[in-house]
Amino acid sequence: MQMRGFLGRLADDLARQLLSWLHRRVEPGSREWLDALTAESECADDGWQRLRWALGGVPLVWTINKRRQMNEPARGTMRALIAPGVANIVAIAGWHAVTIQAIYVATRFFRCHLFFGNQPGGCQEHPFVFASIAIGGGVLGMIIALALRARFAAYWWAVIAGFNTVGSVWYLRSGIVDLPRYGATQSAMLMAATFGVVLAAIVRETPWTETDHGPVHHVGDSAWAPASLLSRHRITAHVIAGTISFAMADSLIRMRDRHLLADNVNHYAVLGSAMFAAILAGLIGRHACRVPVARAAHVDPAITLRTEQKRR
Amino acid sequence: MPRLPNTSPQTLSVLELLLESPRSWHYGYALSQLTGLQSGTLYPILLRLADQGWLETRWAEPEQPGRPPRHTYRLTGEGAKAARTKLAEAAPLRKIRRLASVPGSC
Repeated sequence: MQMRGFLGRLADDLARQLLSWLHRRVEPGSREWLDALTAESECADDGWQRLRWALGGVPLVWTINKRRQMNEPARGTMRALIAPGVANIVAIAGWHAVTIQAIYVATRFFRCHLFFGNQPGGCQEHPFVFASIAIGGGVLGMIIALALRARFAAYWWAVIAGFNTVGSVWYLRSGIVDLPRYGATQSAMLMAATFGVVLAAIVRETPWTETDHGPVHHVGDSAWAPASLLSRHRITAHVIAGTISFAMADSLIRMRDRHLLADNVNHYAVLGSAMFAAILAGLIGRHACRVPVARAAHVDPAITLRTEQKRR
Repeated sequence: MPRLPNTSPQTLSVLELLLESPRSWHYGYALSQLTGLQSGTLYPILLRLADQGWLETRWAEPEQPGRPPRHTYRLTGEGAKAARTKLAEAAPLRKIRRLASVPGSC
């Protein structure tokens, strides 16, 4: 009997999770029918019935999305693709042009050379100047990309900002003259930072997850469904993304060059790159979720309160 | 040959049920129970009928506090007229289908 009760609760939970997941697969403006199905799931007598009812949401979501695609005007779709594409190109190529120019001006001013490694007369003799340009360039690139709503560019600059920041600390900590495995470690750090950003972006970029971040629970544009685990624990999600990225980078490095990681400083640099980049990517996700929360101000407070109670 | 719109047995059973009381509002769960259709079959049908202007939809306040508002449906005037025509056209075929589904018949 107890087992049956447990299984019933499990089915009930699965049904709610499935509905929540399905809501994230539908654009906010097209959720009316899925909301209708979700509301009716409350009439089910037990967990198994609710799960069976919720499974019907899968073909419904397929129908809704197919209908939306067919109704979408072709010109609108092209414009929707071109505008972000241009914004991303401008944010990446344009800002790279600025940062490269800044580095060039600095090398001219200090009469130094950019070497890959440490050689006399190299720009490593002015670490603070070049670190500031590198870090500032990455962070400003992210801010510009976010201002242009160029999400891909923002992630791009997050990789560079994470890599440059941790790289600069590693560079100063390791000593300017005698750096162990300079190039290999830099490649490893860049790889870890890229993994970190990509994984954190996957966590954050599930399509149409915005209802998870604010009580946007009203008729026709909402989900009576609980927020997903990852969206409720965002920091944890990004720390997990960073840890997995570090583990991936670490495994790949160990396969290729075990000695690189024998040096603790190098190892920490790879770890730092993965974690910092994942957290930066997490900030991008949070920024992008502000709009729907602001929209939630129009929601009936009674419905919001009920939703919150239900969520708890 | 592609099937004519709104002539599937499932759609016809929904239309038949809605036609029984065309002016009253129907809940999705009740429609599913009465027609024996699963939610994954019923809702795409309702969505299509609403798109074609055959079905009127409305959000109704929940009967119990703490429950979300419920979506209700009824046929529009045009929908009721079209449904009657479709059901009349499909009547002979439906009769055959019903006979075929009687246990013992072959």
